[in-house]
Amino acid sequence: MNAPVNAIPTPRTLDEYLEQVRAALAGADPAVVQDALYDAEEHVRSELAEHRGVDEADIIAKVASSYGSPEEVAAIYRDTEVRVMRALRTPPAPPRQSALGTFFGVAADPRTYGALFYMLLSLATGIVYFTCAAVGVSLSLGLAILIIGVPFVVLFLGTVRVLSLVEGRMVEVMLGVRMPRRPPYTDRSLPLLARIKDMFTDPRTWSTLLYMVLMLPLGVAYFTVAVTGLALSLSLVAGGFAGVLFGLGLLDFDVVMYGPPLWTAPLITIGGVLMVFVVLHLARAIGRLHGQIAKHLLVKAG
Amino acid sequence: MDTETHVRKFQKELSAGTVALVLLVVLARATEPLYGYQIAKQLESRGGVLAGKQSALYPVLRNLHAAGLLDSHTEPSVAGPPRRYYRITDLGRHVLADWLATWGETRDFVENMLKDFRP
Repeated sequence: MNAPVNAIPTPRTLDEYLEQVRAALAGADPAVVQDALYDAEEHVRSELAEHRGVDEADIIAKVASSYGSPEEVAAIYRDTEVRVMRALRTPPAPPRQSALGTFFGVAADPRTYGALFYMLLSLATGIVYFTCAAVGVSLSLGLAILIIGVPFVVLFLGTVRVLSLVEGRMVEVMLGVRMPRRPPYTDRSLPLLARIKDMFTDPRTWSTLLYMVLMLPLGVAYFTVAVTGLALSLSLVAGGFAGVLFGLGLLDFDVVMYGPPLWTAPLITIGGVLMVFVVLHLARAIGRLHGQIAKHLLVKAG
Repeated sequence: MDTETHVRKFQKELSAGTVALVLLVVLARATEPLYGYQIAKQLESRGGVLAGKQSALYPVLRNLHAAGLLDSHTEPSVAGPPRRYYRITDLGRHVLADWLATWGETRDFVENMLKDFRP
């Protein structure tokens, strides 16, 4: 059962083992790959720490039967991912058949509200990310001529990676796009300098930086669209009533009142309600789009 | 007749259905937070179908955590990446009680069905 099924050589070191897990997971969601590698590394290192002095190849062989061979691990993560997505996530609403159902069904989709909330929040997060990126980059360049320049750059890029994970968590919770739950795998057996070099050559570091800069304009745009859309549509809904009941919204020039005729009031309210749904559709679409942007810049690059 | 693949498939399905229950029990019994490797070793020491491939435990732990049944925190370890320790939450304990009741019913039903059967 645990015998190697094909010509893949039995892994002899932790790195070979992890490399084979990665290879076996080829084509899977990059976020799943990152999580699987992290879990495997934690487990195998615990095993290694438990049996100090025993040959690494022996431990890895033992791990391949207890934790699973790379192919088995890959299969388990693929399976579990599918099952869990089905079980734990809010199931996607059944697709509505009628055009009306499709249009109004957006209000029953939890993703819509997640996306709307994300749009409102993105102004704040965008400002934070942009400031962090701008200050980090300019200080890194400015300090480069001094001796503290190098540690500062390293610290800054490390911060960028942490922020990438944090943003990923927010995107997953609010926009429902699968993002990593573990930091990216770094080969800890390498010396510190090599690991720092890895951080520089990892395209994800730079794409994350790009994402952070991009978040300011995007955040401003999302926030504006959300606030304007909601304010306009909700005030139209209320406007119909306000005009009829309280005579609000009319221009009063010395007793002569200007405003839409009374019979338009219901139309204004109905128009407002329809517009609320249009805004919800827009929010959900923006949420989907942004989820893809985040996935490509924070996880997939590289 | 080759029945091994069928046996293995059945084992896999059984353990997929019960592993979350077993993990909750292990953590409910534990007096201190445990990390993945310790939990895996506890299951291993008891043997059985569930002790199968230990890599299956980690995603389940993470999902129980996402569902709010477990609490977790990471601690740096000398041996590698920081270890994630898990502890059962109050919600987890309540859910566990419900699951145990469900499990009892299922087990009784299955045993009842198999009682008089002789292959």
